[in-house]
Amino acid sequence: MAIFSKVYYFNMVMQGHQSNVVIIGAGASGSVAALRLAAAGFEVVCLEQGDWVGPADYMGAQPEAELAWIERWNPDPNARQGWADYPLTGDADVRPVMYNGVGGGLVQWAAMWQPLLASDFRVRTLDGVADDWPISWGDLADAYAQVAGDMSVSGLGGDPALPEMNPYPNPPIPIGKIGRVAAEGMDRLGWHWWPGANAIASRRHRGLQACQRRGTCMTGCPENAKATPSLTHWPSAQAAGARLVTGVRVTEIPVDERGRVRGTVYRDRDGVEHFQPAQVVMLAANAVGTARLLLLSVSSRFPGGLANSSGLVGRRLMQHPYRTVTVVCDEPLDSWQGPWGQNIYSLEFAETHPDRDFLRGAKWMVMPHGGPMFAVAEYQEAHRHEGFEAVWGANFHRAANEVFGHAFTWGIQAEDLPEHDNRVLLDPSECDSSGLPAARIEYRVSENTRRMLDFNVARAVEAAEASGAVSTMVRDIWPTGIGHVLGTTRMGDDPESSVVDRWCRAHDVPNLYVIDGGVFVTGGSANPTATIMANALRVTDHMIEARASQKVP
Amino acid sequence: MGGSAPTPAQRLALARLADVLVAEGPGIPSASAVGVAGDLLDRCLVAAPSFSEPLLALLDEVPTGGLDDFVRWLEVERPGDFAVLSTTVVAAYYLSEEVRELIGYPGQQPSPLSVAAEPDYLDLLERVYERHPGYRGYT
Ligand SMILES: Cc1cc2nc3c(=O)[nH]c(=O)nc-3n(C[C@H](O)[C@H](O)[C@H](O)COP(=O)(O)OP(=O)(O)OC[C@H]3O[C@@H](n4cnc5c(N)ncnc54)[C@H](O)[C@@H]3O)c2cc1C
Ligand code: SF4
Repeated sequence: MAIFSKVYYFNMVMQGHQSNVVIIGAGASGSVAALRLAAAGFEVVCLEQGDWVGPADYMGAQPEAELAWIERWNPDPNARQGWADYPLTGDADVRPVMYNGVGGGLVQWAAMWQPLLASDFRVRTLDGVADDWPISWGDLADAYAQVAGDMSVSGLGGDPALPEMNPYPNPPIPIGKIGRVAAEGMDRLGWHWWPGANAIASRRHRGLQACQRRGTCMTGCPENAKATPSLTHWPSAQAAGARLVTGVRVTEIPVDERGRVRGTVYRDRDGVEHFQPAQVVMLAANAVGTARLLLLSVSSRFPGGLANSSGLVGRRLMQHPYRTVTVVCDEPLDSWQGPWGQNIYSLEFAETHPDRDFLRGAKWMVMPHGGPMFAVAEYQEAHRHEGFEAVWGANFHRAANEVFGHAFTWGIQAEDLPEHDNRVLLDPSECDSSGLPAARIEYRVSENTRRMLDFNVARAVEAAEASGAVSTMVRDIWPTGIGHVLGTTRMGDDPESSVVDRWCRAHDVPNLYVIDGGVFVTGGSANPTATIMANALRVTDHMIEARASQKVP
Repeated sequence: MGGSAPTPAQRLALARLADVLVAEGPGIPSASAVGVAGDLLDRCLVAAPSFSEPLLALLDEVPTGGLDDFVRWLEVERPGDFAVLSTTVVAAYYLSEEVRELIGYPGQQPSPLSVAAEPDYLDLLERVYERHPGYRGYT
């Protein structure tokens, strides 16, 4: 069939509800696209390697909730070792964590909702480092507002560090005792802080119940108060006709003789191979899973991996290296109470400053400190070097007496700039449960990032003192990450220096899109999901608008 | 529960080791006194089934004397086993209702939040607003 008539056919069948977009991954970005496309009348199939999970699986309502973090609800897939958890191997200063199932990372996320700074899109122009994005904050403004509504975000607008935004749909969650103590410290120092926005319903809203402050958000919310796609997106997407197939792992994206994708090959849990034809494929498998799948999809036309003529697939992995300063106060703060999102945040040190010995900056956020097991774990980590007696035996109880209920944490996430050699590769020997090569992670924390974190930690200790802390516990860079994986299929206008264009369509393959966090050009210091979802919406809407010119196999 | 249930001998061994880790403190009982080797242990092994095998194997090796040295030796020489042992003891200890009451921990209980009242931090926020230089780079 000639190209013209193929395009025409795609357009017609889309209008006739028969066309076929396959989305790989039912996480943050895949869920946005599935809902939008299904509502616009497209036939959508989403393939997800994990399962549905919900309140019956979450352990937050049980007394064993804290222990659950170590096993079934460990954010590290290498610790969980479920069927859907492909191994992450390699030598990395920071190894990613993620959840593989319907909702992706948003099953376990802390729901901190943070748009990027306006300057994040122009770091080359403003700070002479890394690259500018091909889009600006303004290009995402409408989509930010739309996804905040879909995700029932609770927050307060008007933060002067950010461009003006539509009000969030729900009032902010009270900042609580810990937020108040932290804010007073920032106030004394004259530093920026703002009440945290969270995708947690402060009151009943759409499909979400009001938050009950259990504080077990990161092992799944047993109250259905935290936004996660199985509540916010999939019910409407499925009602509109989207089909979600779970427990299947996509193993390859084959192309036709003209280099267009034909669909996806996937395996079920019995190892049986299937082919799902598609006219358009959207990759939403996160910055690790998508890079892995593209590298797995080799053909004579794409010997270095699909859509990889730039050689950038898998490279420029960014993860927001993370340190914490736990602030211990005399007064009782009831700090096991949730939500485990951000009570307040600060962007005081998020921008480049000429007097500092690093470029760009970090975002801080105040979080609760959990139950007694957390208190013991952190107290022991801080005091272990003093010997066995300092933390065990009769001294064991010091953690509960001094820290439990009296502490909160300043989490500090650094903007790590994209580095060519920080990357995702295929492991030469280790395999996942389908026999596919594991994802090998190579990642070094740069000197710029280390200096940035040292500086910010020192300031956070000052903030703790200004809050009246009796002591602080400082942790070094977390060796397992915080679930932020970005940059491995960057967007850009130049096919030689980017993988996808500004509409997140692969430069090399006209019917292949990447819509997850891999497309970030730089990472900013904001928690990325607000931007991932807004961008997925922007791109999907454009694809719908431009369907008349969509090339198909 | 993952694997087989602990035998009485294994429970006894755990109770003895547990007190090396969590001894009696001022006004608070030791681990064995609240029964970490009984039902509380069973509940931990349901929540963390992968602990069962290494923990029970370790409990079979516990010497009759020199417990203090044994636990210290474990921490240095077999950190994986020490982590399983210590995590189980700490988790079981804090599952005890008696201990929870003593430290003032109700558990991760529901407690509705209220957004009806005006936030009490608006004066502080006003100052943030006034002193902030504004964002840069918007297009
Ligand atoms: C513990 C934790 C806390 C977090 N807290 C926050 C927070 O507070 N705020 C914030 O902004 N972000 C947070 N994040 C990050 C957030 O979860 C991610 O940014 C977001 O989920 C990424 O969306 P995505 O669409 O790129 O991919 P994901 O949501 O990761 O979804 C990818 C999906 O693709 C599936 N998949 C992958 N490969 C295949 C394959 N071959 N075949 C079939 N399916 C496949 C996976 O199973 C997964 O479900 C957190 C993450 C974690 C893990
Ligand atoms: S604190 Fe709120 S959002 Fe978190 S688990 Fe509890 S009810 Fe859910």
